[in-house]
Amino acid sequence: MTAVTALKQSKPRVLLAAFLLGLISLVAAVFLGVVDIPADDIMSALSGGGSSEARSIIMDIRLPRIITGILAGIQFALAGLLLQTITRNPLADPSLMGVSQGATLTVTIFLLFTVYIFNPGSNTVAELPIGWLPVAGMAGGMIAGGIIYLLAFRLDLSPLRITLCGIAIGAVLHAVAIGLIAGWGSARIEIILEWLSGSLYARTWDHALFLLPFTVAGLAVLPIIYRPLIMLQFDAAVARSFGLSYRMQFSFVLLVSCALAASAVGAVGPIVVVGLIVPHLARFLAGRHFPLVLPMTVVLGAVVVTLGDLIGRLAGGAEEVPIGIVTAILGVPVLLMLLRKVP
Amino acid sequence: MDARKSSIAIGVIIAATLVIIVAGLMPGAKTLSIQAVWNALVAPDGKIELILVWTLRFPRSLAAAVVGAGLAVSGYLLQSLTRNPLADPGITGVTAGATAPIVTCFVLMPWVPGVYYPFIGLAGGLAAASVTFWVARGGNGRPLHLALGGISVSLFLGAVTIYVLLLAGPQSTALLFWISGGFAGRTWSHLLQMLPWVMIGLVGALALHRVVSMFALSDHAAAGMGVQLNLWKPVLLLLSIAPVAGVAPVAGPVAFVGLAAPHIAKFLKPQGTVWEIGLAAAIGSLIVTSADLIARTIAIPKELPVGIITALLGGPIFIYLIQRGRLDVKAEGA
Repeated sequence: MTAVTALKQSKPRVLLAAFLLGLISLVAAVFLGVVDIPADDIMSALSGGGSSEARSIIMDIRLPRIITGILAGIQFALAGLLLQTITRNPLADPSLMGVSQGATLTVTIFLLFTVYIFNPGSNTVAELPIGWLPVAGMAGGMIAGGIIYLLAFRLDLSPLRITLCGIAIGAVLHAVAIGLIAGWGSARIEIILEWLSGSLYARTWDHALFLLPFTVAGLAVLPIIYRPLIMLQFDAAVARSFGLSYRMQFSFVLLVSCALAASAVGAVGPIVVVGLIVPHLARFLAGRHFPLVLPMTVVLGAVVVTLGDLIGRLAGGAEEVPIGIVTAILGVPVLLMLLRKVP
Repeated sequence: MDARKSSIAIGVIIAATLVIIVAGLMPGAKTLSIQAVWNALVAPDGKIELILVWTLRFPRSLAAAVVGAGLAVSGYLLQSLTRNPLADPGITGVTAGATAPIVTCFVLMPWVPGVYYPFIGLAGGLAAASVTFWVARGGNGRPLHLALGGISVSLFLGAVTIYVLLLAGPQSTALLFWISGGFAGRTWSHLLQMLPWVMIGLVGALALHRVVSMFALSDHAAAGMGVQLNLWKPVLLLLSIAPVAGVAPVAGPVAFVGLAAPHIAKFLKPQGTVWEIGLAAAIGSLIVTSADLIARTIAIPKELPVGIITALLGGPIFIYLIQRGRLDVKAEGA
């Protein structure tokens, strides 16, 4: 008994530790970078003073990308946790199941056609309407989410089969996108490549503002879907016997998950690994205690992306390593260790 | 199907593959008539047709057929070995494992001759498969862990591959080749370089068909019938990775063939493992040669990567298999 209570008491401490780690990484991300700025210069820049160079680096480059990264990290992690919970499947992750690939496809189509729509005869990068990329990506992600939904209910598939179908759909959409690039748009391949690897490079306050409503809405619905979520962990029949309108709740959570992932993919590109790894990490640290796994996932999502981006910025020097690659290279070994331990 | 019908089926599929190869000699940036192709094949006279047919179109079509057979055999062996219907070179991480070190050599150590690429691919594929199987504890009874481990390994190696390509600067052709595969500009030397590796897999699988069929039952059954697990499991794993190691430097990643071909072969219900392996190899050849023909004719004079066509063909097949419940996915919710 004492061991159990001790365990229970220790768990909130884990959350607190993760939260502290998040704060530390946030501070580190602001203070560290390729350009060395003295700490007191940064402090005065944050309060509106300081040299103009420090102010522009902190306020226009570092802060927006850090905030965008935190919001996107929270969204990816939450989307992964929601889908893994309702499909009872550790593989489920919207960005793995077609959402990010659908977004890639629409972004590709968008980039290919913008030349014809906006600016005939030009293919210079500067004139591409990059500001619209998040919207285009999100639209594609939602369409892919719709396909997953149709599969789930029209065909009445079991959760595992939904996941597998999603992975196949993702592969097909990805193939079409690459095909379009190959057959058509070699002039824009650099933008698409940067997009494909998932990057926080040159993210502005616009990106953060684009993401903010989704993050807030996603966190705000959590109390509403909390009870259904716990019941959705059971079989459909069991959940119904608790009086849950299974279909409606499942659809709603699926929608929330896809919207979170699609908007995040739109803003920063597919950072696939975060949605897959962070929930596993949270479950490992918090046990199977769902009330703790949920906040843990949110905090760790922000931490992983902030730290990953910091490492990517520092490791590559002038040529920074995209966050998608950092999280994959550092995160996958952790995931493999966790998977091995899970019976 | 009994043995006679199975052999007829294999014969028909091989004939269809040959027809597609020959028919594929005609279309292209310069369309040739049947007459011209025939002349170039039978009575070479040194004209432009000869170059088009003998050095450009014929070797690449044959390479496509060999790649298809190799991937199908690899998929078949992996599926039997793990008793997991989803196991294929892609989902177990073998393809990514072979590709990543080859790309690294290709970009960072260009002085390594291409002949060694299959050996590098073999080592990489073996390492990736070992990690996947380690996570899945041999893949027995944990089908989902096998898929999850393999996909994670692929994500990791894919990130390494993309980073190395980014380091090299965005050379679009090299990049697209390593992301989605292709046969553009494949010559006889590529074909010869790859052939022994595919043959090792195919001949080895056929020679060991008894062992393969025992593994397909269960490890216990195989051990009970006198199969030395410690010896034959690694041997079969090597046999399943060898074709991928040969194929990767020549064709890049070609998606879904290793998964789809064995399932289509089993769907036809041939009698016995030997025929299943043969049928799977023939079907793999047919799929990839058809896909290559489509990829280079659909947007003449441009050419699409072949991996796209196989994904478009194989993806729906995969989804169909899943939703019809033909894939025996066990351990739901595990």
